[in-house]
Amino acid sequence: MTDTLASHADQGLHRGEPLIEMEEVGKSYGAIRALRGINLRVNAGEVTCVLGDNGAGKSTLIKIMSGLHPHNEGTLRVDGKPETFSSPREALGHGIATVYQDLAVVSLMEVWRNFFLGSELTAGKFPLAGLKVRQMREIADTELRKMGIVVKDINQPIGTLSGGQRQCVAIARAVYFGARVLILDEPTAALGVKQSGVVLKYVAAARAAGLGVVFITHNPHHAYMVGDHFVILKLGETTLDKTRKEVSLDELTTQMAGGDELAELSHELGRK
Amino acid sequence: MTSTIEAPAPAAGRVKLGLSNRLLARPEIGALVAAVIIFIFFLSLAPSFRSAESFFTVLYQSSVIGIVACGVGLLMIGGEFDLSAGVIVYTAGLFNSMFCWYFGVNLWIGAFLSLAFCLLIGFLNGYLVMRTGIPSFLITLGTFFVLQGANLGVTKLVTKTVSSLDVSNIDGYDSLGKVFSSSFKVGSVTVWTSVIWWILFVALATWALQRTRVGNWIFAVGGNPDSARAVGVPVLRTKIGLFMTVSFLGWFVGMHQLYRFNTLQAGGGVGNEFLYIIAAVVGGTLLTGGFGNSIGVAIGAFIFGMTSLGIIYAGWDPNWFKAFLGVMLLLAVLVNLYVKRMSTMRKVG
Amino acid sequence: MIRLSRTLRFAAALSVTALAAAACSGGGREKTDDTDTAGGNAAGSTGYTIAFITHETPGDTFWDKVKNGAQQAAKDTGVTIKYSNDPEAPKQAVLIQNAVDSKVNGIATTLVTPDALAGSVKAATDAGIPVVGFNSGIDDYQRLGALMYFGSDETLAGTAAGKRIAEAGGKHPLCVIQQTGSVALEARCKGVLSSAPGTENIQVNGADDAAVTSTLQAKLAQDKTIDYIVTLGAPQAIDALKAIEQAGSSAKVVTFDLNQEAAQDIKDGKIVFSIDQQPYVQGYMAVTSLYLNIKNGNDIGGGKAVLTGPSFVDKDNIDKIIPFTKNNTR
Repeated sequence: MTDTLASHADQGLHRGEPLIEMEEVGKSYGAIRALRGINLRVNAGEVTCVLGDNGAGKSTLIKIMSGLHPHNEGTLRVDGKPETFSSPREALGHGIATVYQDLAVVSLMEVWRNFFLGSELTAGKFPLAGLKVRQMREIADTELRKMGIVVKDINQPIGTLSGGQRQCVAIARAVYFGARVLILDEPTAALGVKQSGVVLKYVAAARAAGLGVVFITHNPHHAYMVGDHFVILKLGETTLDKTRKEVSLDELTTQMAGGDELAELSHELGRK
Repeated sequence: MTSTIEAPAPAAGRVKLGLSNRLLARPEIGALVAAVIIFIFFLSLAPSFRSAESFFTVLYQSSVIGIVACGVGLLMIGGEFDLSAGVIVYTAGLFNSMFCWYFGVNLWIGAFLSLAFCLLIGFLNGYLVMRTGIPSFLITLGTFFVLQGANLGVTKLVTKTVSSLDVSNIDGYDSLGKVFSSSFKVGSVTVWTSVIWWILFVALATWALQRTRVGNWIFAVGGNPDSARAVGVPVLRTKIGLFMTVSFLGWFVGMHQLYRFNTLQAGGGVGNEFLYIIAAVVGGTLLTGGFGNSIGVAIGAFIFGMTSLGIIYAGWDPNWFKAFLGVMLLLAVLVNLYVKRMSTMRKVG
Repeated sequence: MIRLSRTLRFAAALSVTALAAAACSGGGREKTDDTDTAGGNAAGSTGYTIAFITHETPGDTFWDKVKNGAQQAAKDTGVTIKYSNDPEAPKQAVLIQNAVDSKVNGIATTLVTPDALAGSVKAATDAGIPVVGFNSGIDDYQRLGALMYFGSDETLAGTAAGKRIAEAGGKHPLCVIQQTGSVALEARCKGVLSSAPGTENIQVNGADDAAVTSTLQAKLAQDKTIDYIVTLGAPQAIDALKAIEQAGSSAKVVTFDLNQEAAQDIKDGKIVFSIDQQPYVQGYMAVTSLYLNIKNGNDIGGGKAVLTGPSFVDKDNIDKIIPFTKNNTR
């Protein structure tokens, strides 16, 4: 039994404490309103699942939280203070790390280089200061091992790992470097059942460690396995916002699939 | 809820990849094998190739290409091209010589202004590529034509001919010549300092690439810029820096050309940009970026120097050289493709 | 981006230094009033327009002299010239066609690729526009319908150079071709070969002096019997001198064409002689002959090509010629 995610996570996190609060947040690109009136809380030690079809506004929501595109309506509070992020670096500075589905890692680079990318350990401040290669290899190796990710050789290009393992390395990296809020963008979308399982275990582990997790997906089954709180977006607006106690998997699935519209469609098609 | 995850049975120990696999994954291996074969080939066929003098002539030839190729290699690992790299060599030299001739100032001042000018061009290349999102192939093709035309046009305006004027009588010529274009004798062998500079630049680039944070960033911005940005790598700064490195090295070779030959033809340097790219690709740099190393690029330049002169040493018709170069390039690309497949394939579970 | 400001400050500091150091350094431009190199009194304008078309690849000093000659002739005769050039035959043909379409009074053109240009030249003669060939095309100009021709016979020039080398005891000259696939350059080397049978050709990359030098150096190391290097352009002659010095060879250098540096080397005895085809004369005569033809119906050359070369420049006459190389007319 190892549970090392918890040992790395910020010890100052208290379950249920709000990390990110969004109030009537909206975003327009010129004349196009991609998102409006979003109220969302990300609490420590909880998994907030954001579900929605393609074009529902999920990616805009991620971009606001991760600092790629600032919001232009409403207020976004981090630890109770209003913020508008202008770069991913700024968001990272507040402990908000995003793991994108298809761009989590640089596949031709070694596992350890990926693990430390952007937060390298160097022997000095000047630009050509040497990297502490041996130390970085050792840390990456032991950390991944402790977190249960088995890579045969820490020096192999990360592209040789399976999709699930790559996602896990990216999550482990975010946690190691002090993420308090993890935004996972469709982490299971491209994965098979077994690989998805590996990733979902990590999501659960991150929650157990007290992190706030935003889990973006269009798969209600995956969401229900780990989620504490569910939000469904449609055309840039919230159509469902319930806690785990208030909603069942069936309801979630129906809502996700289109709810009443689907029932109507089924009626029209006339097959029971 | 303290422990929710169970680690898979811990691996007994890391499996080390086989030696052959690890070797194959190195970018320069194909070039190294090719270089050895070509070297032995010319040694056995060209009697006059077998002397230290010839070897150092080959090294000189390689260094003139290799210095700029070193920067182009880094840039290509960073995922970009620079087609203006050949012409900027002559822009640098022409700028220095004509500025000093026209205003009658010390050549050192012209050399520094020329450096500033070249860095500015590199900066503009990088800035335009990053800000517009237009492929660097197009942006630098534009710079290439602008510089080519400006080299000719400005030279014509200033000197009324299309070559720069002799700088050997202007102040500062001797000291600049010592820095950029001097040679010394070791026995009967002439060693040009450009060869030493080349080795220094390659060593520095190798260190930067493999052992520094900047190197990590170069690989990342070439392999997957979006992912690099997401983890906080300054993509814009890294790429602009790479473009400026290329123009710095172009400036360096431009200084060498100027102080070795005293005059420069305004139309020179055209076509060399492809030699740099070829050296980089033959040396195992991936055209799409994210993979390669500086030693490989140096070997690529050495292969270029060896074949271009080896054909002469063997007494063959040098018209065949380009054909030979093309074959080398094709082979290198095929080897690269194979290597990339090997290294991204799942070798071990 | 923050770094930029530091760079800027550095650049500013530099330019201040540059200003301070200005005007206290020798060896640069002579600060006399610029006299127009192609000066002379302009004749009253005649209103004629002559299209002047070449296959110039930008960046070759040779063509500067051709153009200078043409410009001087235009000034002297009071005609307007329209200069255009393209190294590719089909595009040069289009340039001639353009001249015909714009109804110029006369066309002077190089005929380097006679068959590709035949159609356009015929269009000109059909339209009643007189055409004069220059520089290249000596064997074909009459067939194409051009009235006159001014230029040197490349083969003849090569033969004359080879003859002189052979007379001086040269056994194994090396003929350096700096541009691939050029008929004119190949013809020169063929000429050298015809009168100096030991001649060997070598191809170099004329756009890169360092490459030319090391290639020649390698060749000199490979074949120690080379006793003459014949370069086909003045910049390559300078490279050849460097290569000889490096290789410790005793080969002598002979070159086609001239530039300031090569002229100085001839004076210093480093280059034995230069074969000059007098490009200035080619440009000057092409324009002047058209002027005379349009104005007065003259025909120059008695139905034969007028040769502008080869003219030898060596130690004996270099002193007279050096001032002209400075004017860029020789």
